[in-house]
Amino acid sequence: MICQSCQNEAVVHLTELVDGRRRERHLCVDCAREAGLTLPDAPPDLGLDAVLHGLIKKNVGELVGELAETRCPDCRLRYMDFRTGGRLGCPHDYRVFREGLLPMLQRFHGATRHVGKRARLRPGASLRLRLRSQLRQAVAREDYEEAARLRDQLRPKDQHA
Amino acid sequence: MTLDDLTRTSGEWLRGTGPESDIVMCSRIRLARNLADFPFTNRASRNEKASIEAQVRAAVDAAGLDASYFDVNAMSNLDRQFLVERQVISRELAAGEGPRGVSVAPKENVSIMVNEEDHLRIQYMLSGFRLPEVWDEINALDDQLEDDIAYAYSPSLGYLTACPTNVGTGIRVGVMLHLPGLVANKQIDKVFRALQKINLAVRGLYGEGSQAFGDFYQISNQQTLGKSEEEIIKILTDVVPQVLQYERSARQELVTGRRQHLHDQVSRAYGVLKTAQTISSEETMLLLSSVRMGVNLGLIDDLSIATVNELFIQTQPAFLQKLRGNELGVEERNVARASLLRSRLAGGRAVEDE
Repeated sequence: MICQSCQNEAVVHLTELVDGRRRERHLCVDCAREAGLTLPDAPPDLGLDAVLHGLIKKNVGELVGELAETRCPDCRLRYMDFRTGGRLGCPHDYRVFREGLLPMLQRFHGATRHVGKRARLRPGASLRLRLRSQLRQAVAREDYEEAARLRDQLRPKDQHA
Repeated sequence: MTLDDLTRTSGEWLRGTGPESDIVMCSRIRLARNLADFPFTNRASRNEKASIEAQVRAAVDAAGLDASYFDVNAMSNLDRQFLVERQVISRELAAGEGPRGVSVAPKENVSIMVNEEDHLRIQYMLSGFRLPEVWDEINALDDQLEDDIAYAYSPSLGYLTACPTNVGTGIRVGVMLHLPGLVANKQIDKVFRALQKINLAVRGLYGEGSQAFGDFYQISNQQTLGKSEEEIIKILTDVVPQVLQYERSARQELVTGRRQHLHDQVSRAYGVLKTAQTISSEETMLLLSSVRMGVNLGLIDDLSIATVNELFIQTQPAFLQKLRGNELGVEERNVARASLLRSRLAGGRAVEDE
């Protein structure tokens, strides 16, 4: 678009309301200054790339390869999501993301092995977590037959509770 | 027990009894636990959260706690705030979404939050400095709940939690301390730095990130993996007495070196609380802190520590509004607060200095 005052390229596009009527003005930098409009000297360099890079590095760490993209088959959380959100999605994540978690545990706790009270063994529980995630996924893809089958498998214990 | 019943009682942890209760308001342990067969709360669907809630409620009933369950999802923001002020639920649970709630035992020693960051956050509090006793109680309760709940647990990593900073024992062992002496002699930061060096966290009365409030500070462990529950408790029971000693000598210094100044400060604080017609929450906390120290140093009699402790909670915004039965603006709250203080403190008097 051409400046309305001279023949240079218009870079300022202004829409204003004058007496209730829309008025459009298209001006080049010089004519805009002359018309009394305040313009920034140059678009400030915000260094966004550097900021972004810093943020990613801070939140995701140096890893950008396989681990970052690893996804828990049950809760569907990616390791990268954990590094940005700070929360794991299900008990299985401790196994799936073990490689990334162990150094972190060592840094925070100064240890990577549990000492202390032991829970009772519940052999069926892990399978039920898997069934539940399959149920969620069946519902999501509207496979109601499969969903009903999975629900039946889960039911006895849920009813007991 | 209803929420309104709670306005007429106060938690055992405010009674001001138990060892070292002039400084140690209460001892508290919480355990983070999750059900093994559900995703953690942040990835659980609404239906799953409802199932978790039902299972935990059944387990709590079976444990015979005589606890009341409060449905945090269904309650008003004011009621949520009321429970936060009483230390019965966390801010996170109040601000959460979906099916969630809390079981509270009659004396408010026990609260079990459901669908907070973890499926269960079991909390046990007792007034005074008695962590081993609190551990025995909460450990037994945890065993009872486990009769009906399959906990998420791995032999190598312990109890599995939504945040890896809680994995292992899932335990947070803490004491809430009143430290006006160390605030007055400006040694408090030094003490905190020393505690942080040994991996203990220092927080205000209302937990993570909250400002120290009325000179109350919570000291607790941060690391939960690689040490047993007993070892973690021992760290606290070894370290806290040193902090108590620093606080006692700071108070002693104030009493011997600047007795007149201290007595004046305490008496003025007491006077303002007994006579003000309108008073902000911040000023109330500041003055109550002075009065609490005054009671402990014998500068005020006819006023029990339990009353002062209760007033720290009862002058909070949501409590005042529950007491009045309706929502109040800031100005109205300040008037209601002053009125409550005048009536609760009417009997007491400052000691005359010989």
